Amino acid sequence: MKHVFSAVLLSVLISGSASAQTAAPLAANTGAYGTAGCGLGSIVFGAKPGIMQVLAATTNGFLGTQTFGISSGTSNCGGGSSGAVAAKAFIETNREAFAKDVSRGSGETIANLATLSGCADEKAVAQTLQRNFKTIFPSAKTSNTEVSAAAIESLKADKQLACSQLI
Amino acid sequence: MGVRWVAVLRWVVAATLVLAPAGCATTTGRLTREVIRPLGADDPGAAYLLELLDRAHRLQLAGRTEWHRLGHWRSTLGGDFESQADGPNFFLSPYGKSSPGAELDATLRGFFATLPDGTSDVQYPICQFPARYRWLDKMLGFDPERLHRRPCPRFDEFYHRVDAARLSFVFSSYYLNNPASVFGHTFLRIVKRGTDQDADRRELLDFAIEFSATVDTNNALVYGFKGLLGMFPGTFRNVPYFFKVRQYNDYESRDLYEYELNFSHEEIDTFLEHLWELGSTFFDYYYVSENCSYHLLGALEVARPGLELLAYMHWPVIPADTIKALYANPGLVGAVRFRPSLRRQFRERLRGLDDEQRGLVERLVYKPATPLPQDLPAPRAIAVLDAAQDLVDIQHAKELAFEVDSGPARIKQQLLERRAEIAIPSEPLAVATPWATMPQLGHDSRRVGVGMSADDDGAMGVTLDARLALHDLADPTPGYPEYSQLEFLPLRARIRLDEGAVGRKRFELDSISLVRIVSLSAQDRFDRKLSWKVDAGVVRLDDAGCRGTCYAGQLAMGTGATLASSEARVITFATIDAHLAAGPALDGIAGSALRAGFGPAAGFRLRLASRLVSLTTGELIWLPTQRPRATWEAKSILRLGLGSSFALSLEGKLDARVATGGLMTLLYF
Repeated sequence: MKHVFSAVLLSVLISGSASAQTAAPLAANTGAYGTAGCGLGSIVFGAKPGIMQVLAATTNGFLGTQTFGISSGTSNCGGGSSGAVAAKAFIETNREAFAKDVSRGSGETIANLATLSGCADEKAVAQTLQRNFKTIFPSAKTSNTEVSAAAIESLKADKQLACSQLI
Repeated sequence: MGVRWVAVLRWVVAATLVLAPAGCATTTGRLTREVIRPLGADDPGAAYLLELLDRAHRLQLAGRTEWHRLGHWRSTLGGDFESQADGPNFFLSPYGKSSPGAELDATLRGFFATLPDGTSDVQYPICQFPARYRWLDKMLGFDPERLHRRPCPRFDEFYHRVDAARLSFVFSSYYLNNPASVFGHTFLRIVKRGTDQDADRRELLDFAIEFSATVDTNNALVYGFKGLLGMFPGTFRNVPYFFKVRQYNDYESRDLYEYELNFSHEEIDTFLEHLWELGSTFFDYYYVSENCSYHLLGALEVARPGLELLAYMHWPVIPADTIKALYANPGLVGAVRFRPSLRRQFRERLRGLDDEQRGLVERLVYKPATPLPQDLPAPRAIAVLDAAQDLVDIQHAKELAFEVDSGPARIKQQLLERRAEIAIPSEPLAVATPWATMPQLGHDSRRVGVGMSADDDGAMGVTLDARLALHDLADPTPGYPEYSQLEFLPLRARIRLDEGAVGRKRFELDSISLVRIVSLSAQDRFDRKLSWKVDAGVVRLDDAGCRGTCYAGQLAMGTGATLASSEARVITFATIDAHLAAGPALDGIAGSALRAGFGPAAGFRLRLASRLVSLTTGELIWLPTQRPRATWEAKSILRLGLGSSFALSLEGKLDARVATGGLMTLLYF
């Protein structure tokens, strides 16, 4: 009976919620990534925005798209703990925050990327990235993969950084 | 009316069950128990297996709490056991789900079993159930000469990948304009072993463990039903922590509280081993009971048998309650850390700006080329640009995450370029932890109340109050967002004590709602979000449009604007509301049983102290072409919270017919 009751409750809540939006098709658990690669958009609620983002909060913990199995290993996104592949996934998912940190020449995403890439000096990494801002983020059109490739390239190019995991 | 309503509900649910595809289709691959080769009777290990089984039986291990937690068995009403794990591969015995004893025997047999050559999709039971092995080993003292451990490369890979040093329980707070998120969300963070002293700044590289449902529908209604009836499979997942940070902190602008758990290394290892066991199964996901929070606690209870966590959970299971359950175990929670949402970071940046600089921020997010004053020192220019970048992210999270080359993305690009030209690194932003909104400080989620009330004509009554969840604007504020009200099944009724009321007339239901939401959003120059509210339920009407007193189903909605002082001590809101009501005794539009009206409403909330709140609301509803032409109502509440479980509430209500005042005692539990 409790479940019957609550089912009706939630339905009312969902259908009555002023912030409810039109439903978007959901790539149901395909395990594959959309065109956005490892970008935030592709992991959070599927390839397209829509009602899922409302529901994600409403329902505390429904994950629409990606599987990160424990026994089966993590997904191909951000699974590794170091190296260029991990750095690439990290940059792509953190793109919006990373862009700000690069432009600011400091920040958490840079500190973590430096660790991931085996660079010794986080401040020097931040300096290099900031200096190369226009190369890494040439325009708003730049795709996530282009951003990650350029960022990793600029770290590799600066031999003084000695980012040991990017070789 | 009650019986018929229930009948309708039953029909709706039955129809949904029939229409929905049966079963949860997550089991892929073969079951371990169908692949492994049990030990033959003449095998050299057979005698040792029999010896272990015999000792396990004599020690009655299958009846131990530790074993029940490992298998997630709970006793049923009939005195039997049933495991909450629903995936068949969690059990080595076909009767394992309902028999801890059969599963214990099958587990011991499984530890001796072999796999056919070339098997890659199925693990040795000794590798699939490392936490069971650890505990049984402790109880029975396995002889490694006679029970061989096997190499478990998959588990080892997982174990080394997460590289755990500590565990943190993470609570994600609400997000604005989504009152349902007031419930919060929880997951675990596995803190990696630090390679240097500065490990805390590398936390993005940690892993998060969450229990979540795999959704297979985009129909909101089907989704709601399936989620509530446990028809989605819930699984434990291992997600890079930066996914969670970006999703909650940035995309949804929700604060994260991290509660470090004082676990020993052995307990952490046990937890990881058990997590590995859970990785091979699923649990039916129930939105209100077996949800994201519930099974995380179940997994923690395995790691330390002395913990009591699930015992504190009641229906409905609310994520904030799980934090309270952690605190109910003395010494469990260590340091608490706070990760501010993007919105809170932005507000902190604003604090450092003067009015002119704030004006610049406001303009930059529309005209990113707006020149900064020549005499603006570099540190100030940095502060302005950094704040403007955050504001674009807050206002356009969706476009930035989902669209390439959107308008906001171009604005942000320009702001980024301008900032990058100033080759000075920004200082780290220090945001004070808002201790007052920590979830464990909140009042409990359910509420009942009783009080006395009197009408201005002298009629006395006993007022009754009940609510399934969670919080209204007059409730004590600690632990809850200031601007949100979310109530499930709030009920108000009265037993009249005056002479004239006899028999059935003595009991009067004032109102009961399925759901009542008020979502306020304070407006300022940086935030123009509208506030809104909705209330769906049954109300008692007492006016000229009603033959005597009558009950009507009512849907009320409104939208408007809110202004608030800093720290939300004073909140004022005004809305335009629409009401729709229907009831058999209503004399509504053109003599029908339907009533429709609209009009202004307003509210004023004053937080006099953290647990002393005054709330005054009023509304005027015009009912064109109906009787009466208009109704109005004003309410005032002064509520004093006493601890986290009690409140005294002084309440007054005034409408065209009657003025009522009373004092309530409220119990949160």
